[in-house]
Amino acid sequence: MNRNYIFLTLLMLLLATGVLFLPEKPEYKQTKPEDLLYEIIQPTRYVTTDQVAKMIIDKDPSLELVDVRDVNSFEKFSLTNAINIPLDSILSESNQEYFGIPGMKVVFYSDDDIKADEAWVLTRRMGYKDTYVMTGGLNRWIETIINPKMPPDDAPYTAFEQYEFRKGAQMYFTGVKIEAKTTKAKVTVHRKKKKAAPSGGC
Amino acid sequence: MHVHDLNPKKTLVVVILFVMIIIAGFFTLKQPRFKYKLSLEQSLKMLNDEEACFHPWQLADVLSKVNSNVVLVDLRDNFTYSRGHIPGAENISAYDLTDDKYFDHLKELYSKGVTVVLYGKDRLQANGPWMWFRQLGFDNIKVLLGGYDYYKEHKADLSKSKEDKSYILGKPDYNYSEMAKPVNSSASVTKKNKKKTPVIRRKKRTTTASGGC
Repeated sequence: MNRNYIFLTLLMLLLATGVLFLPEKPEYKQTKPEDLLYEIIQPTRYVTTDQVAKMIIDKDPSLELVDVRDVNSFEKFSLTNAINIPLDSILSESNQEYFGIPGMKVVFYSDDDIKADEAWVLTRRMGYKDTYVMTGGLNRWIETIINPKMPPDDAPYTAFEQYEFRKGAQMYFTGVKIEAKTTKAKVTVHRKKKKAAPSGGC
Repeated sequence: MHVHDLNPKKTLVVVILFVMIIIAGFFTLKQPRFKYKLSLEQSLKMLNDEEACFHPWQLADVLSKVNSNVVLVDLRDNFTYSRGHIPGAENISAYDLTDDKYFDHLKELYSKGVTVVLYGKDRLQANGPWMWFRQLGFDNIKVLLGGYDYYKEHKADLSKSKEDKSYILGKPDYNYSEMAKPVNSSASVTKKNKKKTPVIRRKKRTTTASGGC
């Protein structure tokens, strides 16, 4: 045997064993830090309680509510069809199947928005897209949807529209009696004018 | 000349060159500008680190210059900053954080061991950038709880906020299940009555003349 060949074979074997010691790569491709910071600064991830309420009422199939509070709090109260992934276990493998489902919008919520936002940063670093944070969390949910306050008289028209929606949502979520004021809406029926029978013909 | 008769010295030279090129390649590989120093697990654990937060009452010492090892950084935009900020705070708008000028400045503060406290309008505004810096290994960076809004409201007596816990977030303000429980059945009956929607019967459209030419 030629010495050169033996030498080359040994070198190749050495390089091949080196591959064994390569660091293990994570399954997901992490978002680059600069991209992550850019997205952290954008406020586009925030959705309001009104938007979430509307999606629940509309039975939007793309909505995936994720409650990041602990199990006890979740069992006492949670939003419709929410799933519970406590922030501490958000990295666990079994929870990964809830993220990154094509077409699903993951909306995180907690008592307020800090924990939900932290869950967002972590999952965003993991590379999952289409994730959102409900601003104000459940505290604001109670203030705006479950117990909406009448806007002051000098509030703009849109504030009253929003209030009307919230009263409706309140009724949807709690079955509370609504005040006469809101029920009075008149239903006007616009009938199409009868069409003249087709004239002419054979 | 047969290929087997190659000079062993020549082979050695080729192999050495080959290895040198690979090593040179490793060294000239473009290093990414930012790199995560904490793994995801470490980042998650960091969130519970009490040391990573800065309480409003700790500001009192900073403002009276008792504690001079702290630099305050205002992450709001320049206009809002100019309308009012914590005395002595530097303004680095969140959008400028990755600019070389500011990033190198923060790196310098890190190497000097100076504590940097980030704040925004509220805690939420600074929370993301704070998490980002921590994940990059800046363990001198802290987040001001309560943000500027809380400071502004309590600046007259910051040390008093030691007893105040309202700026610590992540707690339920209400008993949700109590607040949001469905009202009793009698109410839902009245609701049903009121909800009765007028039924609108529409005449069936007469089918257009069938048949034809």
